[in-house]
Amino acid sequence: MTFDPIKAAFDPVALAVPIFVITIIGEILLGRFRKVKAVYEVRDTATSLGMGLGSQVAGLLTGAAIFGVTLWAYQYRLFTIPMTAIWAWVAVFFLEDLTYYWFHRLSHERRFWWASHVNHHTSQHYNLATALRQTWTGGVAGTWLLWLPLILIGFPPAMVVIQKGISLVYQYWIHTEAIRRFPRWFEAVFNTPSHHRVHHARNPRYLDANYAGILIIWDRMFGTYIPEDDAEPCRYGVVHNLGDFNIFRVAFHEWMAIGKDLAGSRSIREVFGYLFGPPGWSPDGSRDTSATLKAKWRAREAAAVSPAAAAETAPLQAAE
Amino acid sequence: MTETLIRLAVSALLIAVMIGVAAWARIARPTAPLDEAAARDLLAGEFPGMNPDYIWIAGDGAGAIARAGAEALVIYRLGDSWVARTLPWRLALLAPVHRGKVLLKLRDPAAPMARLAVSGVAPWPPQSPAEALAA
Repeated sequence: MTFDPIKAAFDPVALAVPIFVITIIGEILLGRFRKVKAVYEVRDTATSLGMGLGSQVAGLLTGAAIFGVTLWAYQYRLFTIPMTAIWAWVAVFFLEDLTYYWFHRLSHERRFWWASHVNHHTSQHYNLATALRQTWTGGVAGTWLLWLPLILIGFPPAMVVIQKGISLVYQYWIHTEAIRRFPRWFEAVFNTPSHHRVHHARNPRYLDANYAGILIIWDRMFGTYIPEDDAEPCRYGVVHNLGDFNIFRVAFHEWMAIGKDLAGSRSIREVFGYLFGPPGWSPDGSRDTSATLKAKWRAREAAAVSPAAAAETAPLQAAE
Repeated sequence: MTETLIRLAVSALLIAVMIGVAAWARIARPTAPLDEAAARDLLAGEFPGMNPDYIWIAGDGAGAIARAGAEALVIYRLGDSWVARTLPWRLALLAPVHRGKVLLKLRDPAAPMARLAVSGVAPWPPQSPAEALAA
């Protein structure tokens, strides 16, 4: 193996492709023979896998430009970090994972970036094929810019690319209902199928949670961790599920919705809100955001326990 | 370039294999045609806190339109899952029927149209206003 700081010696994702194929077929077979919980709907599966292939094509179209900007930024690095140092790999592991957390959080909490990421959440199933339902517009949305600080610190581009690939491959296997839970110590530190099921759930109580890549510690640190509650099974998908399996609708529907909203906007404030407000933001508050959905859910929960207390707290929660 | 094209072609082939295995396995969720109780369950999940006072079930049981105040709550089956949207009840009543399906414009790029089967037993719009308004 060479240690070219510019060109990655290997691509973890490309190396993992055979594993993807074998494990998806394995999960289907185990589900077929009722050894594990696995639900596959044919058109949904085709859409997920088609999005994965399309994502590869989109990556080819934007990859060269992103690579060019990365190399340009690397000229201005503060330090020259050696790829051969173990400490450097340990450091890039944590820093890349922290970067991923904030990328992922931004991708859920601000609509412009949600438009690029939402397609990953559009399946109403949670299986290994869902993991491959990847974005086509990530390059255009510019979230890759979030990794440039690592380059400017001095981590070689090849090192960052490899670590990003390792993170992506790690996140593949957690897209499954076949595994319930790992030992407590593992669940405390690592992102797991249980944590990530919550992330893919559209139940109000689970919205905007568990943004982790490899380590769940970031969610615990930044207050976005929600454990899976066996009493409330995850319902997968997005708040307003897609109306068909059209792969182009999956890729572009939120961009189209943004365009429609911008066309009808009447002020700079509205333009800004529609672009960078939370998904569901509207000038008059007539649409639901994650925050309002959670507030309504809390009010319903409170009403179920104590109708009188709920009547007092509901207006406050709705105003959040 | 050639290597990239070969890689994409092989990926496409592998995808076809995986879809084939998924089709053979038949492990989608069971989706029985809706009856009123099932529709109410679904509606309660999709529209918590909204209490429909009238529910119309599509002729093939693959969807429903419920009235909750001035809103029409629409659900329809997609594969083995469900899609839900709202639109004003008055617009739902005016929705055209074409080739045995009522076409509901949902005004949403993510789900532009719902097409629900009508039949002699389940015509659209409901035949009498009294039926549509019945509790």
